[in-house]
Amino acid sequence: MKKKLSRRNLLTKLGLAAAAAAAAPAAKAAKATVQKVLVTADAPKGYDPKDHKWQMVIDANRCIGCGHCAEACKTENHVPEGHYYRTWIERYIVTKPKPGSAETRGEVLVDSPEGGMRGFGPPPVPKEDIQQSFFVPKLCNLCEHSPCAQVCPVGATFDTPDGAVLVDPKYCIGCGFCIQACPYGCRFMSPVTRTAEKCTLCYHRITRGLRPACVEVCPTQSRIFGDLKHPLPDDPLQNFFKNNRVNTLKPHLGTEPRVAYAGIDKEVR
Amino acid sequence: MRRFNLPPQVVRLVLLTIGIVGSYMVARYFLTPKSFGQYGWYRGDALMERASLPRVYAGMKACDECHSDKLQQLAKFPHKTLSCEVCHGPGGAHAKDPDVKLAVLTYGHCVRCHEANPTRPKWHKQINIREHYSGQKCTECHVPHAPSEVP
Repeated sequence: MKKKLSRRNLLTKLGLAAAAAAAAPAAKAAKATVQKVLVTADAPKGYDPKDHKWQMVIDANRCIGCGHCAEACKTENHVPEGHYYRTWIERYIVTKPKPGSAETRGEVLVDSPEGGMRGFGPPPVPKEDIQQSFFVPKLCNLCEHSPCAQVCPVGATFDTPDGAVLVDPKYCIGCGFCIQACPYGCRFMSPVTRTAEKCTLCYHRITRGLRPACVEVCPTQSRIFGDLKHPLPDDPLQNFFKNNRVNTLKPHLGTEPRVAYAGIDKEVR
Repeated sequence: MRRFNLPPQVVRLVLLTIGIVGSYMVARYFLTPKSFGQYGWYRGDALMERASLPRVYAGMKACDECHSDKLQQLAKFPHKTLSCEVCHGPGGAHAKDPDVKLAVLTYGHCVRCHEANPTRPKWHKQINIREHYSGQKCTECHVPHAPSEVP
């Protein structure tokens, strides 16, 4: 038996369909708003990314290798246990040349036990054999032309207008191209989220006027952080560039890192 | 009588192309997040999502609200460059609720920075833990909030 579709019936159904079609985007928008509020309920108020340009620089002359920065980074950002670091410290030891070898220097030994986050023990070679030795804190180099952002196939990693390089964990597909592309080894695949992770310059802190965790706990002001668009009176960042001859890591790659180093040797890569 | 007598395969091809491009445009419209392109070729909301993560370290300003006397004392001594949380550990929970206590300090907090290591810069005060009054607590002679070489 065929059900008869009357004019009234048809009009009612068409009306309902139109109402549903009209309500769908509204419902979607409402859902999106609720989600956004839930996710960003704790977002800093009145922060405009275009009004800031953050930068971190490292004075390696002042680093004592205590490892507080690497430890604080792990705690602050809940970095997974194990050999995953968003920032770490390397110890460089240049040994004396062998007598009669006509060299200016011997071997270069680099180590970073547990990323330096528990400090460093005695050197692996006797003190008398050391020609030169220093610590180098490492982190995301905040490249002007980030290779990681260029290779991301889904636009999940990007340079923010305020100078950080972030990963969008909702978009990251975990392909790992960025990890291969980073010449500084600053990225890793999180075993928890299966997405790429890296130094965010403590984006959740700097957007509220706090310093990144590593800068906060650095006891010797080896890590210097500041806003280029709003320099403080007697700005430590400006003073750093005024008082030091600075260098960047792997300048020949054209990534133009914004993280500048003072007091590092040519061996540091 | 048709004015344009296009071959049927061309008509089908054109319709197919319009269909594919059209469905792509529709899908793109619905699947692209609202904030995509707000700052660049990425989802703009990701910035504030990242910024709304909780903090573990409170920062020195939070310490200054209650313990400004300690900070003023510290500012007169070489430890003036230290933030409270270097030694006392993360204080975000303590800043929110003062009943949550900070980590208990041991001598390990002193030697972590002050143990002699040939890689450490020469200007930094260092001691050899085995030779420097071994067995005694650092705080028997030194005051961390007012450190001095000669106690």
